[in-house]
Amino acid sequence: MMAAKQLDLVAPPDQGFSELLASFQNNFHVNVLAEKSNYRVFYDTFDWLLYNNGSALEAHAEGQSRRIYWRADKDSDLRIQLGLSHVPQLASDLAESEFRRQLQSVISVRELIPRVKIKIKRLPLVVLDKNKKVVVRISFDEYWYFPSKTRAGVVLDKRITIKPVKAYENAFNQVADFFNSMQLSEAQDNIMKLALAESAISATEYTTKLNLLLDAEMPAEQALKQILLRLLDIMQQNTAGSIRGRDTEFMHDYRVSIRKTRSALTQINKVLPQDIISKYNKFFSGLGKLTNPVRDLDVFQIKLQSYQSDLDKAAQEHLQPLRYYIAQTRAEAQKNFINTLKSAEYRQSIKQWREYLENPEPTGPPLENTSKAIHKLADELIWNMYQLALAEGNAITDETEPEALHELRKTCKKLRYLIEFFQSLYPANKIRELIQALKGLQDNLGEYNDLYVHRGILKDFIKKSSDTKANRACKRVIKFLEHRQTKTRRRFAKRFASFSSADIQQEYRDLFVDSHKGSA
Amino acid sequence: MKVIAIYNIKGGVGKTAAAVNLSYLASLDGANTLVWDLDPQGAASYYFRIKAKVKGGGQKLVEGKQGLEASIKGTDYESLDLLPADFSYRNMDFFVELAKKPGRHLNKLLKPLSGEYDYVFLDCPPSISSASESVFDAADVLLVPTIPTTLSLRSYKQIKNFFKQEHHDCMKILPFFAMVDMRKQMHRLIIANPPSFMSGVLDSYIPYASEVERMGINRAPLGNFAAHSRAAICYKSMWEEIKSHLYTTPQPWNNQ
Repeated sequence: MMAAKQLDLVAPPDQGFSELLASFQNNFHVNVLAEKSNYRVFYDTFDWLLYNNGSALEAHAEGQSRRIYWRADKDSDLRIQLGLSHVPQLASDLAESEFRRQLQSVISVRELIPRVKIKIKRLPLVVLDKNKKVVVRISFDEYWYFPSKTRAGVVLDKRITIKPVKAYENAFNQVADFFNSMQLSEAQDNIMKLALAESAISATEYTTKLNLLLDAEMPAEQALKQILLRLLDIMQQNTAGSIRGRDTEFMHDYRVSIRKTRSALTQINKVLPQDIISKYNKFFSGLGKLTNPVRDLDVFQIKLQSYQSDLDKAAQEHLQPLRYYIAQTRAEAQKNFINTLKSAEYRQSIKQWREYLENPEPTGPPLENTSKAIHKLADELIWNMYQLALAEGNAITDETEPEALHELRKTCKKLRYLIEFFQSLYPANKIRELIQALKGLQDNLGEYNDLYVHRGILKDFIKKSSDTKANRACKRVIKFLEHRQTKTRRRFAKRFASFSSADIQQEYRDLFVDSHKGSA
Repeated sequence: MKVIAIYNIKGGVGKTAAAVNLSYLASLDGANTLVWDLDPQGAASYYFRIKAKVKGGGQKLVEGKQGLEASIKGTDYESLDLLPADFSYRNMDFFVELAKKPGRHLNKLLKPLSGEYDYVFLDCPPSISSASESVFDAADVLLVPTIPTTLSLRSYKQIKNFFKQEHHDCMKILPFFAMVDMRKQMHRLIIANPPSFMSGVLDSYIPYASEVERMGINRAPLGNFAAHSRAAICYKSMWEEIKSHLYTTPQPWNNQ
């Protein structure tokens, strides 16, 4: 006989549990157990990686007991994770296991935070046979959601769960028939979805994409303020996580928004008053500088794994003092950044910046570009920046100093940001093509720059360290990095050739010089 | 799925009481738990108020054609199922059949259940036979209840020697003291200074207690009718200790 499967039904909306129970008791020999409350906390990353993958990580609490449940994907079952009494903050906090591997494949380095808490009021009962043996288990459950501490709770759903007891399928079928005769619909596994619908939260809300829909004729000041506001939103969404400090992606997203803000302020010029630009460029530049060492050391830590692979086991061991140095230096740099984010001065500056951006009134006498239609300004800016990138790239030969590649890297970044800011003004497929060609070059320049920065980190360590074995191992890594840098540089010409090909140049000309305005 | 065998060549040392109470605690953790009553006396089946009968008898079960699933019965406790004993086990046919099969046969029988159960407790009969090999092989942990007396210690030593002789992993063996009567000097001395061959003995021990005997009257685990009794508390702390052997206990994190 096939084993019966648990039945989850939505309770009739017009009938209370007590009424339902009374009618059930007329037909079955029932033992009603004590009512209890338990809690279910749904964990997820800030950007809802679990929810969007169909996975779930839940902590179920009843009295002192706490159980952790995990579902790997939408096709898997929710299974208890034994030997675990707390949800880890990061997947890497877990001991090596299948669970850790599965979790890491979904959330990578992101931090798990409690996202939704549900209270379940449960009335359990058991159906007994003539020998008083439990033959079916039933629970009447009310799912409560409390949107905030101040708002009253709401009932998300009322459900009846009927669980079979092995070898007593007949009794289960009789109970199932009783409830099925009431035409109840089957409950879906959607409590989280119901809670999200009740709250103001959207599980797809977070993205670092600007997703702006600019009007081609919009005055430049208005468009620029929209861009800067969106970047400020991303910064603020990532502030709390950056302060908590364990999930490095918060700081990364925060940092990218700062860089884009600075780029927008300085590249989209003659739109905002110069005093505003100077003031906030200085402010965001200061913040950006605080994040640089943290990010550089994060990338270095990840890459060190591959950098050291050419060393023998003993030499790899000798790098241990370097690892301590990196961890310590990084912790200090992160502390400085976090302290700044927590400061009253920082909060005040951010508040003023938002007020300025949200003020629809012009804040000074109109400048050359203040009222210009944004599509015209966007055309000019992107075209000029592309021309600059071409000029800088064409000047690079095998003999050129590395600084020139660094300059070109910065120019490409500015070009990339400008395209992203204004992409809604142009056909999406064309923009994708241009970004693709640009990305290939940026990856090459980025790798070259990382290798340069990482050699610098190793040299700094050697200067400060008296550990001869560690220093010797570091020097070997530096040699390895120099070799890789040479190889990366050799690939530059090919990447630049794609970026500056006649086809791509024509695309830029078509879009930004002979542009078909308003085609977006 | 973790397989926990409760085993001793001596009878009357508290194997079934341990199997019933520990499996009950496992199910309270939310783990899907199965007890396989391998003892022809069917005491575990009796405690769970389930008839000691397997359709087709033990031989058919061990042949592996019908699978174990069809013979499993739900107990009165959520997430706790039982594979009952059968009268036919008494004739030892079952164990003779088990012994005839190659070493990993019990493992093969249990494998289809791994998707459903988190724990399987094997309540083993008091014997040492070639069928025991299959149990030793299938178990992640072999719990050996031992009364702190000279003869019981001798039995434990025999099990350990047998394990070594047959090249089984001795790390699997977790002995614990059962039916401890602290009024007796010998019990006190052995508990305080267990012999060296009992290295790894669990810190928790089970006292000689009338509540444990009352399990037969109530036909239920201690947690069901004497949850706050000393013996029930001892089983609880023993279960925590066993889990710490089964899992690498993760550290509590600072976000909780």
